[in-house]
Amino acid sequence: MELSEYVQQGLQMLADPGCFGPGAFALLLRAAFQSLLDAQADAAVLDHPDLKHIDPVVLKHCQAAAATWILEAGKQRADKSALSTYLEECKFDRERIELFCTEYQNNKNSLETLLGSLGRSLPHITDVSWRLEYQIKTNQLHKLYRPAYLVTLNVENTDSGSPPEINFSCNMEQLQDLVGKLKDASKSLERATQL
Amino acid sequence: MLLELSEEHREHLAFLPGVDRAVVAEFGRIAVEFLRRGSNPKIYEGAARKLNVSRDTVQHGVEGLTYLLTESSKLMISELDFQDSVFVLGFSEELNRLLLQLYLDNRKEIRTILSELAPGLPSYHSLEWRLDAQLASRSLRQQIKPSVTIKLHLHENGDHTTRVLQTDPATLLHLVQQLEQALGEMKTKHCRRVVRNIK
Repeated sequence: MELSEYVQQGLQMLADPGCFGPGAFALLLRAAFQSLLDAQADAAVLDHPDLKHIDPVVLKHCQAAAATWILEAGKQRADKSALSTYLEECKFDRERIELFCTEYQNNKNSLETLLGSLGRSLPHITDVSWRLEYQIKTNQLHKLYRPAYLVTLNVENTDSGSPPEINFSCNMEQLQDLVGKLKDASKSLERATQL
Repeated sequence: MLLELSEEHREHLAFLPGVDRAVVAEFGRIAVEFLRRGSNPKIYEGAARKLNVSRDTVQHGVEGLTYLLTESSKLMISELDFQDSVFVLGFSEELNRLLLQLYLDNRKEIRTILSELAPGLPSYHSLEWRLDAQLASRSLRQQIKPSVTIKLHLHENGDHTTRVLQTDPATLLHLVQQLEQALGEMKTKHCRRVVRNIK
């Protein structure tokens, strides 16, 4: 893992028992994870009586450093030995390394889910609704007497200003074509997952 | 149901008996072509010169024929009703037969063209799909995230549009299930009863 000077300094301060006693260390660690994973977390995570004696600038520096380290580890999918090695180099003692790794292990899944959800992707279909109607006449054409479907795809966009729904009409054959093709895709998916 | 032809309309069509059947057939062809692609005034000029009549006469003749064909197609009138409607024009039997043939030959296509005039939504044209597995992103390495990329082709107001979309395997199965239910609806007793009774 390659981390900047600033992050390394923050971690080294965090490792120093003179700066952070065991209680304060554990609290800051928890605060770092919370600030990343808890959607409701805010600056108040650092508002704890046992952290009051530490300079707020130092607190922020160390929390930022820890958070950056956590994200980098998550991104790289680092295993326990890689994590320990890096922390050893930052002069963390055995106990603190254990605590760091345990906390990381506990939060690993949430972290990976969070990281996996970031990034650009194509508009994502989330749901479909349909309506079946029987067409009788229009002002241009009488005696239609045919069924028609109106399909709405609900789409979640990550960016782009396009609308959250795609509407289109189709007749029986077209809907059969659509369903047929989607079934092909899902059969293909099933086969691929069995490989 | 009989077609009602106005005075003006009858006047326009009055031109037809005066020309031979090849010309009427040609006018019919022009009328349908104009419905397909829009009118082309230059055709009137050429025809007017060849037949030695005024341009207006030719235009009215073609327009009258067009209106006759579109109204009949719109209402989907029967052969008998068409013949009776045209009878009032006092044309020869041969001309009447020609007009009827023109109607029957072109009815389906004219109805298709007319259906495109209806307030419409984009309509489905086709769909392409592709199976993908996301392996890594800037924020997370070593992933295996399956997804399905879909290119939906739609027709909108005569234009062909495409939307590129994506979905996950679970949603894909959900889509298939929902839309199969939709297809199944037409086979239910209720829908069959409606179709049988609305005519």
